[in-house]
Amino acid sequence: MRGGTIREESPEFGWTDAFDPTGEYLGTAWGMMDQLLIRGLMTYKHVDAAQGGDTPVPDIASAPPTVSADGLTYDFTLKDNVMWSPPLSRAVTADDFLYAFQRINDKKLVAQYGNYYCGVIKGMDCAAKDDNQPISGIKVTDPTHISFTLDQPTGDLLYRLSMPATKAVPVEVRGCFPNPGDYGVDLISSGPYMILGQDKLNLSSCSTIKPISGYNVDKGMTMVRNPNWSAATDDTRAAYADGVQIKINSNVDDSFNALENGDLDVVQGTPPVAVLQDFETNPDFAGWLHADQGDRTWYVTMNLLAPPFDDIHVRNAVNLALDKAGIRKAYGGDLRGTLATSVEPPTVLPQSTQINPFSANTGSGNATAAMDEMKMSRYDTNHNGVCDDGPVCQNILFLGRSTDPWPNMNQVAVASLKPILPGLDLKEVDTSTGYTTLQQVKKLIPISMVPGWGKDYASPYGFDFFIFDSAGIACTAAVNYSLVGMTEAQATECGVKPEYDAYVQNNGPMPSVDDKMKECVAKPADQVDACFAELDTYLMTVAVPWAPWLWATQFTSTNLKTVVSYQFDQNAGIISYVNTSVNNGLTPQNVA
Amino acid sequence: MLRYIIRRLLWVVLVLVVIVAITYSIFFLLPGGGSDAIANRFAGKQPNPEIVAEVKQQFGLDKPIYVQFYIFTRNLFLGDQYGWPGLGKSFVLRAPLKQVLVERMWVTIQLAVGAAVVWLLVGIPIGILSALRPRSIWDRAAMTFALIGISMPVFFIGPLALYVFVYKWHILPGSGYSPIGEDGLWQWFNHFILPWCVLALLYAAFYARLSRANLLDVMGEDYMRTARAKGLNERQVIVKHGLRSSLTPLVTVFGLDLAGLLAGAVITETVFNLPGLGQYAVRSVFSLDLYAILDVTIIAAFFVTLANLVVDIVYAFLDPRVRYT
Repeated sequence: MRGGTIREESPEFGWTDAFDPTGEYLGTAWGMMDQLLIRGLMTYKHVDAAQGGDTPVPDIASAPPTVSADGLTYDFTLKDNVMWSPPLSRAVTADDFLYAFQRINDKKLVAQYGNYYCGVIKGMDCAAKDDNQPISGIKVTDPTHISFTLDQPTGDLLYRLSMPATKAVPVEVRGCFPNPGDYGVDLISSGPYMILGQDKLNLSSCSTIKPISGYNVDKGMTMVRNPNWSAATDDTRAAYADGVQIKINSNVDDSFNALENGDLDVVQGTPPVAVLQDFETNPDFAGWLHADQGDRTWYVTMNLLAPPFDDIHVRNAVNLALDKAGIRKAYGGDLRGTLATSVEPPTVLPQSTQINPFSANTGSGNATAAMDEMKMSRYDTNHNGVCDDGPVCQNILFLGRSTDPWPNMNQVAVASLKPILPGLDLKEVDTSTGYTTLQQVKKLIPISMVPGWGKDYASPYGFDFFIFDSAGIACTAAVNYSLVGMTEAQATECGVKPEYDAYVQNNGPMPSVDDKMKECVAKPADQVDACFAELDTYLMTVAVPWAPWLWATQFTSTNLKTVVSYQFDQNAGIISYVNTSVNNGLTPQNVA
Repeated sequence: MLRYIIRRLLWVVLVLVVIVAITYSIFFLLPGGGSDAIANRFAGKQPNPEIVAEVKQQFGLDKPIYVQFYIFTRNLFLGDQYGWPGLGKSFVLRAPLKQVLVERMWVTIQLAVGAAVVWLLVGIPIGILSALRPRSIWDRAAMTFALIGISMPVFFIGPLALYVFVYKWHILPGSGYSPIGEDGLWQWFNHFILPWCVLALLYAAFYARLSRANLLDVMGEDYMRTARAKGLNERQVIVKHGLRSSLTPLVTVFGLDLAGLLAGAVITETVFNLPGLGQYAVRSVFSLDLYAILDVTIIAAFFVTLANLVVDIVYAFLDPRVRYT
């Protein structure tokens, strides 16, 4: 059904780079940009996983690229009739794509995931002095042809070319936005919608470009149809609604009241407890709550350098003892997701469900199996299945989140681990402090349930890289919290050399997936998943840095009186604005 | 008096500098803070040393903390590239903070002043009425109101009021800010009336109790008896002699209360989705937006110290016994 305006409220936008596609790292922003505003060589279908929502498909590219036999060159042909919105109103060309990569390569613009391109595409190092430097690995032969030459084969390149930083940016704005985030208030549209007031932009010079009126980071964003967009050029966006309005409301309860009252169509995220109960039990709200697979894993992380978790038997025992079902129940029940058996959600790596080395734990924890495993640990001196080796087994810090409902979840987790680790000492901190504490390698936090992890893009490398590669270990900003693959040099730099040496002395070389990661990502596209299934099996059986407990869902609440058809965008992890229709009869202008 | 005011203004400057120093220390010395933590927050998922260094340089976090402190303080008083006062640039919005804070301050001023008018108009008359009819039904009803008002926090009464007036009875529009220049006077008033009343309830109750107690004290003073003995009618006795003395202490409290609110009514702004300073302060703390936090803190300190000064000066006019040299 065409028409109407999708009305949504959110507590805040929460951008990481002011909505500038070159640097922005917030998943919600990626989804909004990709669906609504900017088009790239590749995109996704903007549908759920069952309909192939995590598979890249051509967007402005007229077809999948031609790939050379050695896997190093990708040639794209562009559709010649995809138009920029007013006031630009010209066709998107290959130069606009080249410019997007020049922005990524500009050191000052701090492309927050530039590593997916720099060191991958020849001539890109993310250290260029400005956004006008040539890139030897990108060739524009004419307005509809662009080719990429890589330093090494990269089987998931098409996923990377679906990310917002690679979407076309008009060359007319070159040099106008030299600071990170600046372009976010003047984003020029090639998608089915544009920000209200964008057609009034004066692009005659950099100094005449003023922020678009329909976007205020404190108030919200109103998007209206881009009159130059043509459905004939776009296979993935139905664009049913005439507009989308996202308003900022700091009061979440108020937003859900407005939803129930018919003043809103959509609220994303977890509803307050009372609302959640209402949606689950009140027949009036049947079908209002959607729980879609969120391409995200919740896990307990264990530090390989922190005794007793430097012993694999202890880490195995944790996996066997952890009461995943109990934690999920405390988290909100079955709707929150599927109990995880390995690191990657099956939507990212379909083989994940087959990787289950701790099958003795069917969900609620298996204390007997865990104690049998613990008996093999050097920290169980009397082999009774309990960690008892003096100070190592006492006061073991278990770091958890302090905000609801996590304290209850922490209690369930710790209680299930106490039979093997009676010395666990639960400390709860706010989420932000939890992350910054874990990120500091020298703190050697032994075990924690603070972090969760989601994909950057829906190929396994986009999930695994930062969290398991040694590149994810920076002394004060590590995201590889368990320190898998830490090198001796990193240990020295981060001040944990004695612990590193002790690990190597007791266990042999530090388990690492660095080489396997490189091997997998260099595979042809159709072999990537199988390779990563081997990598993940290694992680779950040899390295064992995690006890994964949930492949989490994403909640979206819709008012079924106005939302005629709902669709989820699997890749973006948010509602598919472009494939959802409403019947509220409103125009974006009169909503605004 | 002039020397006194100048001296106090210099104290305001000193207080602001000290507060900036304390806030800086908190964000740089406490666990989870520091230049690295702030830069990491804005350097992406894999903040390699080069990116972190670039972010630090762009945010001015690459210098020693005392140099950063000096630059910030200097800019604050002398101005920066965005004008005077130099409030810096938001790490999150990537925009100069001056305009952001001015817009938000204007919302907060409207909320605080409107609420103050409500609580003065409600609280003081109730207190006076109570004091003039002690132990009467009016007195007991008024004090019951005061007890309820003081006991009901904004985070409870606010959502309740929204639910009843907006979603049940549909007599008021939803939450949010409706600028008078864009949506007209009526919409503006309709959006503010609920937050004004909710915010004012607590203060009105408090002011009712305070004014009642003060007036009861004053009514027993010798000079009140003298005024009656001189033949003044009861109205003149109360208005000219009673109220003036009994309400003077309220000036002190009012000044500080209003100043506190001008620094941001955090809960009210959050509940009613008013984009004011309080709401912004909370958001900035969670996102480690250092200069935004510093600026809001400074604005709060400025209002409180300024209010103290104004109260002291006004006091001198209201109470002839108070003189400053």
